[in-house]
Amino acid sequence: QSTITGTVMDEETAQPIPGVNVLIKGTSKGTVTDIDGSFTLEAASDQILIFSFIGYMSQEVPVGNQTTFNISLGQDVETLDEVVVVGYGVQKKKEVTGAITSVGAEDLESLPINNVGQALQGRTSGLTIAANSGQPGSAATIRVRGITSLNNNDPLWVVDGVVVDNGGIGYLNQSDIESIEVLKDAASQAIYGARAAAGVVLVTTKKGKKGGLKVNYSGYYGTSAPARKLDLLNATEYATLRNEASLAAGKGIVYDNPSEFGKGTDWQDAIFNNHAKRQNHEVSLSGGNDVSTFYLSFGYLNQEGIVVSDISEYERYNIRLNSTHNVAKWLKVGQNLGYSREKSIGLGNTNSEFGGPLSSAINLDPLTPVVVKDDSLMNTAPYTNPGVVRDANGYPYGISSEVGQEMTNPVAYMQTRLGNYGWSDNIVGNVFAQAEPIEGLILRSTLGAKLSFWGDESFTPIYFLNSSTNTSQTSFNRGTNRKLDWNLENTVSYSKSINDHKFTVLLGQGAYMDNRSKGVNLTVFNIPVDNFDDASLNFDVPVRSTAPGGYENIPHAVSSIFGRVNYSFKEKYLFTATVRRDGSSRFSDKNKYGYFPSGSIGWVTSEEDFWPENDIVNFLKIRGSYGIVGNDNIGDFAYLLTISPGRNYTFGNSGAYSNGWSPDAPPNRNLKWEETSQANIGFEATVLQDLTVTFDWYKKVTTGILQYPRIPAYYGTVGNTAKNAADMENMGLELELGYRKQLGEFNLSVNGNVSYLKNKVTYLNDGVAYLDGGETFQSSSYPITRTAVGQPVNSFYGFKTLGIFQNQEEIDNYRNEEGKLIQPNAKPGDFKWQDRDGNGEINEKDRDFIGSPIPDWSYGLTLSLEYKNFDFMVFGQGVAGNEIFQGLRRLDIIKANYQTSALGRWTGEGTSNDYPRLVDEDPNRNFTNPSDFYLEKGDYFRIKTMQLGYSLPSALISKAGMTNARVYIMAENLFTFTKYSGYDPEIGGGVMSIDRGVYPQARSFMVGLSVGF
Amino acid sequence: CSDDFLEVEPTGKSTEAFYYSSESEAYAALVAVYDIVGFVSSGYIDKLPALNSASDDHYAGGGSSGDIAAFQAWNDYSKLTPATGPQEDLWSKGFQGVYRANILLSKLPGVPMSEEKKVRFAAEAQALRAYFYFDLIRFFRSIPKFDQPINFEDVNDVEQVSRESIYSFIEEDLTAAIDKLPATVPVSTEGGRMTKGAARAILGQVYLNQKKFALAAEQFAIVNGTVPGGKSEEGGYELLENFGDLFVVGNEYNSESIFEIGHTNTSNGVWDCIACTEGNVMNILVGPRDYSVIDESAGAPDFISGYSFNPVTESLASAFVQNGNYDPRYKYSISNVDSLAEAGVVNYSKGYDNTGYFLKKFAGLKEDKSTGGGNYELNFPQNTYELRLADTYLLEAEAIVSGNLDNQSRAQLLLDAVRARVGLASIPVNIDNILHERRVELAGEGKRWFDLIRNGRAASALADFGFVAGKNEFLPIPLLELNNTKIKQDPNY
Repeated sequence: QSTITGTVMDEETAQPIPGVNVLIKGTSKGTVTDIDGSFTLEAASDQILIFSFIGYMSQEVPVGNQTTFNISLGQDVETLDEVVVVGYGVQKKKEVTGAITSVGAEDLESLPINNVGQALQGRTSGLTIAANSGQPGSAATIRVRGITSLNNNDPLWVVDGVVVDNGGIGYLNQSDIESIEVLKDAASQAIYGARAAAGVVLVTTKKGKKGGLKVNYSGYYGTSAPARKLDLLNATEYATLRNEASLAAGKGIVYDNPSEFGKGTDWQDAIFNNHAKRQNHEVSLSGGNDVSTFYLSFGYLNQEGIVVSDISEYERYNIRLNSTHNVAKWLKVGQNLGYSREKSIGLGNTNSEFGGPLSSAINLDPLTPVVVKDDSLMNTAPYTNPGVVRDANGYPYGISSEVGQEMTNPVAYMQTRLGNYGWSDNIVGNVFAQAEPIEGLILRSTLGAKLSFWGDESFTPIYFLNSSTNTSQTSFNRGTNRKLDWNLENTVSYSKSINDHKFTVLLGQGAYMDNRSKGVNLTVFNIPVDNFDDASLNFDVPVRSTAPGGYENIPHAVSSIFGRVNYSFKEKYLFTATVRRDGSSRFSDKNKYGYFPSGSIGWVTSEEDFWPENDIVNFLKIRGSYGIVGNDNIGDFAYLLTISPGRNYTFGNSGAYSNGWSPDAPPNRNLKWEETSQANIGFEATVLQDLTVTFDWYKKVTTGILQYPRIPAYYGTVGNTAKNAADMENMGLELELGYRKQLGEFNLSVNGNVSYLKNKVTYLNDGVAYLDGGETFQSSSYPITRTAVGQPVNSFYGFKTLGIFQNQEEIDNYRNEEGKLIQPNAKPGDFKWQDRDGNGEINEKDRDFIGSPIPDWSYGLTLSLEYKNFDFMVFGQGVAGNEIFQGLRRLDIIKANYQTSALGRWTGEGTSNDYPRLVDEDPNRNFTNPSDFYLEKGDYFRIKTMQLGYSLPSALISKAGMTNARVYIMAENLFTFTKYSGYDPEIGGGVMSIDRGVYPQARSFMVGLSVGF
Repeated sequence: CSDDFLEVEPTGKSTEAFYYSSESEAYAALVAVYDIVGFVSSGYIDKLPALNSASDDHYAGGGSSGDIAAFQAWNDYSKLTPATGPQEDLWSKGFQGVYRANILLSKLPGVPMSEEKKVRFAAEAQALRAYFYFDLIRFFRSIPKFDQPINFEDVNDVEQVSRESIYSFIEEDLTAAIDKLPATVPVSTEGGRMTKGAARAILGQVYLNQKKFALAAEQFAIVNGTVPGGKSEEGGYELLENFGDLFVVGNEYNSESIFEIGHTNTSNGVWDCIACTEGNVMNILVGPRDYSVIDESAGAPDFISGYSFNPVTESLASAFVQNGNYDPRYKYSISNVDSLAEAGVVNYSKGYDNTGYFLKKFAGLKEDKSTGGGNYELNFPQNTYELRLADTYLLEAEAIVSGNLDNQSRAQLLLDAVRARVGLASIPVNIDNILHERRVELAGEGKRWFDLIRNGRAASALADFGFVAGKNEFLPIPLLELNNTKIKQDPNY
């Protein structure tokens, strides 16, 4: 035994750390460092010292012959001291008892993310995310822990404490984001009460830090191209198959010599841009002193779409200023303010079977040329029609004589929309004052607002795209909208530690007003111009040739009080309870107020004395929570009998009409919010020092989902009465893994997450087994989805195919138990439909659930490597377990082009057992029946981002006054592994996974630079 | 926050507590009843093309065998099931009309307004309620009766009543209304509103349907006037000189019009709400598909491209040819687009069940294409006739002949008057000739199916369409109406 002394210092700041535990391993003997970080202890040379302190990584040092120890402890920023933003505050990650996933700025830096929703895809467990469209600037569909309601499922977005409306998050610049927290379990959500059921996403923007001025630039430039083309028939193949289908219908040959058409037109080539530009630049200045800190940034983003880029583009400017000021020792004021200006040029219809460039390119026949240069042709109908669109040389764009209706030459279509755009200006911010009159007591007031202006301008020239898509008058439309949402929140919190007891009490009050939008729009007809640039509302047009419109939405007010208690004992036993009372303007006096309680507990097992010191599990926290949240996002005045106009009729011969008013649906005065209760059990662990594991199981039950069950039509009102009618369940498992290791000069980190989700509708109203309606698909004989008890929401519903009748004998032998011929009118080559009810005929009762559009599994993986000055990152994400409805071909246009899969059609015995014969009119409904024929596996894994960077040596750049400089190359959507045959397996929307010609995600290659001063 | 913060008021609409408190609000409630007269559903179900589809004069047509399933099902009766057919919309239409009339009738006594108008509004509401019920009782075997709005709490306890009690309810309503309705209305501002003549003509049909021939003839006689072919006394009705003028936009509420369904191109209807438009959706439905005129000089009709519904059957087309001569009304009623295409004058796509013959009366014309807001497809201004004088002439003749009433010579005069207007010679009056005359005179105007049913001829005329006698005289009760209610399905379905 000898006396040893030493000091413990912070590795980074070289400041002494008081209070560090110094323990002799395997004993209870030890001491604590004093104010200067020094310690004195008796120890033997064969013993081992353990230095540990909250927020730092523990260190073990053998005593040996040394008597003086100078220890440097490294901060454990990764886990212990990491703070997490929770509702109305922050919490140490170690003490969090709810299920919260964070994405930090470091995960998002220099990534090509245009919309914040995308930032979460693959990076957080428990979320199902799918882009709605590859159109630049478009939003993603985000579902937190499944589908919570049959109504609104968009999470509540809270940016720096300001509740911004659902989906209106596109204004944010991802470079400004400090962190994003997704509150997944009811215990974390409950503080947002009646609006939290679909999940809450908290976004915190960057703040300035004390110290000198920092200036950063980051930006990238690159090009995008489609990652994939559909395999469509060329002209010869098309003509051959058309002949076959026509012959089969007994109508004779259409084209005498198919091979004379050669390859024909590739419409996809006509619409795709392989060199669409995209760029992003951001400059930020930040800094501060003891009094004030600030963060100021400017951003610019521009991206061309890969489909008809002239009418597909997105542009955004951002400015942000965040600052805080210490007015007095006990008083702090500050503000966060972001301004954005967006301009989006959209191509109109996407993911729609009713036209739009993609749908047209897929369905148009390859016989029609893009441009007609044949004199004899262009002087005959239909090219003689006024408004036929021509190219720069005056040649008319081809008009198909085979495929009509909404399917039009996409290049000509583009010409009719040139210049049209939508715009929006968003100002979102808050001001706050925070006082701490005595230590631990914090009073805070925040006033936040989102002021939005948005609108669109479009000009339609006289055009003739085909005989059913044409207009003989010009029109010019301008719409402007404005909205001011605001919220005011006052909170008081008190934190205190008494010995091993630590508690925080939060009380708060809030008032929220949203949905206050109003707008006007005006269309004028027959203005004497032929292009967007010349169009103006200044032309004098008669009132008869104008169509004005306008509206204002019903404000939605919420008034709340809330409270939360956090208590921990020795940071080992953790306890949180929350209750919120929300009053909502959407309900009658009877149910105006709702209470949303929750409780959660945590147990840091690894802090227990009995927990053996070991090198395997370094940290373990077990936690559980239960709570109730609500959804009041269900429309206005359903509790009141309203009398509405619009029941109009025209009398006399002046052309004028009279306004009629009549009652709407009978009211339901008992209507209340939807209620979602959720139980969550999980654990967080650090294993082998380097591996972090987070696991959660949850069960979420939504009751009283607002429905409009059909009331008998003989009652005679329009519409149905709202009722809290349906119930639904979601059960899921989530696993997040993080691994970080330094291997010599290699720095390796791997982060992965995987989520499993099962959704089930459990109740739909008395006597209701399924909801009427469902998603429809063109002239499909029945809806293609059904929401039914016991099944996931909006499951695909249709017929099951049992192969193809190879010969007449098989048709004659296909009988039910009573020997009744089931498909007497079928011909060889037709589908054999399953006769589910065995009644001997194929009818609507033979349909069944054939797949779910919701993925069972969502996962993501990020791998980062650093070696010397090089860094490499690859990020991939994917889903599994869903089906996609591949509805790319228009059913009711019998001459629409086919995909090459049609070459494998049935042409005689033994030729195919899965692709039926082609025959005009399709008497067996091979194609018009919704069936498993249309469903394909939606599984995919996508290498979303790959990045290789090089940081210039600091010796080199410091001469230029720079603190860092990094160049990188980057690829987005480099590979997608999927068996799906369409453009893109990622299809968002109200009901996911229905492909009507979705705008695919682009593949981009970019070079980037970031420098700091 | 105070509770006031959570109080929001509806904008652009009112609540029951505040409405029905002035004459203008009562008028708006009356307009809402008329709104149902021009009913079209969000799925294009309009009574007229539905009835055409049901008859032997038209196929359903459209783009494919699945296009507007309700029309297809009423065209091929084998497809007509409680789940599929036009019954859902026709049922809703009728009861919405009845409800709105009942609301107005229940609120009117408390509205401070001129007594004179109150009486007229009430009479109109009663006449319209009867009109809706008359359609309902012809479409459905058994329906419930609402003589006032019911409490929503009791909605599931409603039961059907006998056909007789519905008929007598209709008769009471019409009889009461006829007394109080004006004989004529100013065409420019009130054309389309209920008159004595309109109510009488409906009452005549109600009687005729019940085989109360004398009572029917009595009502029709007042409508038609003492001198067939002359001007009627009560309503001043008179046949238009030129048959073709009946279907020209601009001739609304002419002297032959008794009850007309109004349309206009000013309501700017859009796809988002097909049911909201005041335009005539029939015009786009029956136009030939992908139609374009190649040879402008050939004088082909200037149709807009439509959806090719209600293609005319060969049987109707040939009914226009008598003894090798085309009936003069043919060229105003039917267009043989196929022969124009063969001649290279026009181009069009053949839709489902294409015959090449299109319903010219209602196929939208380029000159009537709306130039205002909204989608032009939904904003054609052409009115259609619910009842016109030639119709009531022939109905009276039918009542006289079927009832074997005393004044057979008047029946002959009525038939002759209709034929003389288009320059056709007299033929003997008998039920076959009357029905033939109705078929060609009123082709495409939604009368044929009722004529066949009323005269018991549907089974033979519609044999090729799968009509089952004793069953298909009525539509099935909409399937969804049976859920949790006391409504019973038509036993034949």
